[in-house]
Amino acid sequence: MHYANTYLERPVVGDLENVAQEGTTKVLKCMLNTGSDIYQGACKKRGSTLKEEYKNASGTCYMDPRDMVKLGVKNWDTVLVKTDYGEVVLNAAKSRDAPHEGTIFVCKGPWANTIVSHETYCCSDPTYKGIHATVEKTDRKVLLMADLMRWVYKKYVDEEDDDVVENMESLGERPVYNGRKWEELIDHDI
Amino acid sequence: MTYEPPVTDYDHIVENCTCAFCGCNCDDLDFLVKDGHVVAVRHACRLGASKVMEDMDQRLLVPMVRNEEGVLEEVDWDTALDTAAKYIAESVRPVFYGWSETSTECMKEGVELGEYIGAVLDNQATICHGPSLQAMQNAGYPIQTLGEVKNRADVIAYSGSNAMNSHPRHLARYAAFPRGYFRQRGRFDRTVITMDPKFSDTAKMSDKWIGFEQNGDYGFYNALRAVLKGKKLQSESVSGIPAEDIYELAAEMEAAEFGVLFFGLGLTHTLGKQRNIDIAIKLVQDLNTNSKWGLTPMRGHFNVNGFNIFMAYETGWAFGVDFCRGYGRYMMGETNTIDLLVRKEPDCFMVIAADPGAHFPNGANQHLANIPVIQIDIHWGPSTELADVVLPGSFISVECGGTSYRMDGVPIWMKKAIDKPETCRDDEWIVRELKERVMKLREEPNVADEYVPNEGLACLLDK
Repeated sequence: MHYANTYLERPVVGDLENVAQEGTTKVLKCMLNTGSDIYQGACKKRGSTLKEEYKNASGTCYMDPRDMVKLGVKNWDTVLVKTDYGEVVLNAAKSRDAPHEGTIFVCKGPWANTIVSHETYCCSDPTYKGIHATVEKTDRKVLLMADLMRWVYKKYVDEEDDDVVENMESLGERPVYNGRKWEELIDHDI
Repeated sequence: MTYEPPVTDYDHIVENCTCAFCGCNCDDLDFLVKDGHVVAVRHACRLGASKVMEDMDQRLLVPMVRNEEGVLEEVDWDTALDTAAKYIAESVRPVFYGWSETSTECMKEGVELGEYIGAVLDNQATICHGPSLQAMQNAGYPIQTLGEVKNRADVIAYSGSNAMNSHPRHLARYAAFPRGYFRQRGRFDRTVITMDPKFSDTAKMSDKWIGFEQNGDYGFYNALRAVLKGKKLQSESVSGIPAEDIYELAAEMEAAEFGVLFFGLGLTHTLGKQRNIDIAIKLVQDLNTNSKWGLTPMRGHFNVNGFNIFMAYETGWAFGVDFCRGYGRYMMGETNTIDLLVRKEPDCFMVIAADPGAHFPNGANQHLANIPVIQIDIHWGPSTELADVVLPGSFISVECGGTSYRMDGVPIWMKKAIDKPETCRDDEWIVRELKERVMKLREEPNVADEYVPNEGLACLLDK
């Protein structure tokens, strides 16, 4: 069956003009904004949240190219972003809305959630924008959604034992549950 | 992106369907159906098309309950509903969160259940336009319909909203491009202004971009209001915008024949919160002394406005309504989901047509790891990773009909186009079943004691 295709493995980002091999800054101080963009929205609403596509659409830190040169990162290298509320490993990519030196943008999603502020200041709405953050280069990998949820919230694993959580097998890009296979339940060939 | 040939292999077309993505509720979509699946969508934006042509790999099809090892296990509908009803009936402070991606008919069942057992009912407005609703209570709600915008507006201002990314057809269908009765030349008859710290995709196609600095919204709008009232600005620039630009913008806005301010989460998520919207509403009121202006919040989900209108009609409050005392109560910062979760109050959490796993901050979600979570949804998402009971619903406007409210408050009937998977149920049916089962488990409704004014004094007088 021929379906119209709405999949896109990773968002389209511009090429970097200057690529520094060695960064001049180890830890970059910046302002974090979160929100939605069209790639994240399309992937989330289609329901493909376990997939690599969602990881690339939502778990990406959009940076000004000058900031990327300072840190010595290329498109799709990984960076560690830390705030007062947590830390998370994200892909780095050149922002489509540059220049905005000193500001990073992360699409909303489980990755951004770990670093945004839950403070509502009695206004019901958490502060998702304008949070002080630091960015540094890292070798760690960006986790898939299911792995990230397990690593952050530890609801169904032994939360005392960090080693178990760190070294557990990946939950992968398909639902994990006991029962019949999804393929048997419904005929599809996406 | 590569070129894709158009889809020509389909059985029939279902015309004039409504899009179930954002608050634009575009009601001109055509679904191309083959073998009971939507294989392509005409007229929709990238977001709407991708939502309608869902990912069947992650579609929830069978009810599931978490077993002792922490793995979800498929069960029959009776077992799943009984487990969920038991969690709700045994809880002291349940929270029912979501409702924005389901029909208004389903909310009706939900509010009955919430009132019966004393739950908190809240929707996605709590993490997006909650401050806007609060500001409307503070300052007013000078709204117009999107049809008026299309036919009359000559100045369109977007503030803190990137419509090209989150409401892609908003400019095309309602605001900037369409030819209206008084705007025969479409885009050429209109001026588009974007106010956003970011040079967003909407800013790129606007006539004017006002890039005030981060958290500078409040200062900037105050300066604009001062200029409109004939005051002189004391400093050379306000919030990073030169004074002369503010004078120019104020003159341009005042000269509009019919202007509309669309505002988004850029205003509600920064530190000013509801005060940013207060000032934006007051700006519109000031503009109305010499010109004609309206404003509309850019609502995200297709029925997020529906829940607010429905709840305001049924209970008197738009969102965050707490029935735990046996009567309805609403207090900003107290009866809202994020505040409740951060204070670790709820002991049972029902998510219906929402995804807190994807959109709540870590500090709030941590509590979901301690309590039973019931999920009613159509896709396996981040919330499923935290859910103890999963009840597969059906897709409103594709597999099931229902009423929804557009961002400007116009109700729209969303019709059914294809049949739902056999093992799924309608959201309305699921919530009604839960309500009936909870009523069986807990026979007494949660009602406040009868109020006797000054009981002690009444006894004395009797003597």
